[in-house]
Amino acid sequence: MHHRSLSILLTIATLAFASTSFSATAPADAIKYRKAVMSAMAAHTGAFSLINFGRVEHQDHLRAHVEALAAMGTEVKVLFPAGTDTGNTDALPLIWQEQDKFGQMVTAVEKSTAELRDAVVAGDKAATMKAFKAVGEACKGCHDRYRKEKK
Amino acid sequence: MAVRPGLRAEPRFFAAPLLSLIAASCLAAAAESGQIERGRDLVHAGGCISCHTGDRPDATPLAGGRRLETPFGIFYSPNLRPDRETGTGGWTDRDFDAALRQGRAPDGSLYYPVFPYPAYAGMSDRDVSAIAAYLRSLPPVHNPVPPHELPWYLRWRQVMLGWNLLWFHPQPFQADQARDAEWNRGAYLVRHLGHCGECHTPRNFLGARDDSRELAGNPDGPDDEEIPGIRQDREGGIGQWTIDDILLFLEMGMLPDGDFAGSSMSEVIDDNTSQLTAADRRAIAVYLQSLAPLHSP
Repeated sequence: MHHRSLSILLTIATLAFASTSFSATAPADAIKYRKAVMSAMAAHTGAFSLINFGRVEHQDHLRAHVEALAAMGTEVKVLFPAGTDTGNTDALPLIWQEQDKFGQMVTAVEKSTAELRDAVVAGDKAATMKAFKAVGEACKGCHDRYRKEKK
Repeated sequence: MAVRPGLRAEPRFFAAPLLSLIAASCLAAAAESGQIERGRDLVHAGGCISCHTGDRPDATPLAGGRRLETPFGIFYSPNLRPDRETGTGGWTDRDFDAALRQGRAPDGSLYYPVFPYPAYAGMSDRDVSAIAAYLRSLPPVHNPVPPHELPWYLRWRQVMLGWNLLWFHPQPFQADQARDAEWNRGAYLVRHLGHCGECHTPRNFLGARDDSRELAGNPDGPDDEEIPGIRQDREGGIGQWTIDDILLFLEMGMLPDGDFAGSSMSEVIDDNTSQLTAADRRAIAVYLQSLAPLHSP
């Protein structure tokens, strides 16, 4: 009994501490982190396509790029916390106005990057092409709707 | 001279022309359906869908109604579906020709050059007929679109007579005999059918393309966008792009740094360049790479 209430107390304390430290993230840093992950995703996509379309060698690197891409594909959903709609960002406020639709499009990124990794790991060229097209559509779809274009 | 006995046999005598008549009509039907197919591809290559489709996600393609903001006012694209009241229902080949290559509506009124007739003017007869055949084959959709919102001095369409006199000098596309077929195909697609210069070439104060700076970028593009230059340019433009970079961009929208284009080019990729044959995309890339460097502003 004592043990149980102690562990509950500890849990509450930990949660309280965790949430304090989380809410202490400055929106400006959250935006920097978002941009860092997005740039990393673009860089891995660029590297992947150079190898995949035979424009450079390094076939043995292919897997590392799609694994990184798939891992980051799962991170996108937490990159747009409330309060990061203003500041040094090209993310449009529409993201926070239609969270359901935005969520669906982010899920498409997660799903397609996972499929791309699986296709590369399986050595299936046709599936790789198909999944890469889907990755492109997922990225482009989101950027088209939710990213302010450079003026 | 002996008459060949075969021709005397009456059944065959009649059967032969009859068969050839059937064959001919089948051939005509095949040519017709081939023409519609070709017209569909040309409508993609001509970028008709991006502008002539409304802004709502469920808008019917080619039924018009898209709002386009330009430095000269707000335009609403007309309905291209063959609806008699609100679209192109009843248009003859001649009507389509006048619209596409002369910027003139069937009632004689003039279009504004937001519709790229100055580029389409170089289109071949065969392509004009195929586009007409395809549009006619679509199910009609009744979709009235709002009138354009223009400053007073542009509301009277015949003011374009003056503009045309100054800037519109239609020339059919002339193949450059010094270049190969691929380059010429690319030139035809970029300069006429695909009308890339309508966005990527800067315009003068009266809205005419400044072709001395062809494809060098347009700081005042439609929808308030800055349109990048696509000439070879060591610093800006696409000077560092290889043919493969251009091909991947036109097919999927991927930029050489792995980013994916949003903005109005994203629609052009979805509705136009990704639908082209690989050979046509390569022709475009070859043509763009052949242009002399020109620094983007």
